[in-house]
Amino acid sequence: MDGLNKVLVTIGRGVGGVVGTLYQAGRDTIDTIIRNILPFMAFIAFIIGLVLATGIGDVIANGIKGLAGNIVGLLIVSVVCAIPVLSPLLGPGAVIAQVVGTLLGVEIGRGNIPPQMALPALFAINPQVGCDFIPVGLALGEAEPETVEVGVPAVLFSRLITGPLAVVIAYVASFGMYS
Amino acid sequence: MNLFASADTVAEPEGVWGAIAGGAEYFIGIFNQGGEVFFSLMGGILPTLVVLLTAVNALIRLIGPEKIETLGKKAAQPGLIWYPVRYMVLPFLAVFFLTNPMAYTIGRFLPERFKPAFYDSAVSYVHPITGLFPHANPGELFVYLGIAAGITQLGLGLGDLALRFLLVGLVVIFIRGIVTEWITARMLARKEAKA
Repeated sequence: MDGLNKVLVTIGRGVGGVVGTLYQAGRDTIDTIIRNILPFMAFIAFIIGLVLATGIGDVIANGIKGLAGNIVGLLIVSVVCAIPVLSPLLGPGAVIAQVVGTLLGVEIGRGNIPPQMALPALFAINPQVGCDFIPVGLALGEAEPETVEVGVPAVLFSRLITGPLAVVIAYVASFGMYS
Repeated sequence: MNLFASADTVAEPEGVWGAIAGGAEYFIGIFNQGGEVFFSLMGGILPTLVVLLTAVNALIRLIGPEKIETLGKKAAQPGLIWYPVRYMVLPFLAVFFLTNPMAYTIGRFLPERFKPAFYDSAVSYVHPITGLFPHANPGELFVYLGIAAGITQLGLGLGDLALRFLLVGLVVIFIRGIVTEWITARMLARKEAKA
């Protein structure tokens, strides 16, 4: 009787654990959707609506076609975004990258930018990723203040090299995509 | 629903009033368009996202994210073999299991001279990973989703782009880790020479 009891308790605990985990995962998901995803969707929907419904879209299209439609333009974008003074300003919340990404997406959809440029563009608009967050990120990794002092400029200068390099790699890797 | 759409059977307003009415329609048209986009995002992306996030969140909870700490300790070793581990495998697993921003806490297992490079490597992966695993950075999905929306509109599949983004991302963070580690080493050496 004792043995049977033990088995039942073990099974019950196991099942309870798994179900509890799944339920908690669902709860976390809905929480994330409401707090992080939906607000940004609303913001993005407004921007796309504005671009599509007004003439702004055509102005933007003319502006970014020259920059985002070819590899040289994308390299220029990536270098500008990687400038050590600008990159921490462009970084926060990846808002700039997300808005620019959305605008580029609209232009790709309208046929103004060839779809194979999507991959290099993803890297060109984002060499500043995390540049606003270096001290905090290093603190999360329990870095010493001396490491932060060196780490911040090290990452910023590294981006100036690796930002454009990433665009070139992505451009080469985009051969044969959507063509 | 279509409160602001003009009815065809009635004569259009003219003159100054007509211009104002036209302006009002144009104004609300912008938001109608935005609402349509919002609805298509909700209908198109969100349902899949909910299920995917739940599944991956459950998987991570069942596996236990603390498992990668062992790998973090191993990656701290010097030697060429550990470069790909430190700047490709470890950032990938850290971002996948711990997500942004907790992924950077794995840096605590590395010696001080590797920490900036690891951070650089990990933070550069929080967008490439979202193409296939959006749970890793749900607050910043539209870097990828924004561009991907254009591809979808052209009627093309997203698998190709998502996979290439993921793989190119791995190559990029590897290079980024090496370059930043090298720059950090140079700056530390210069600092010591000064002191």
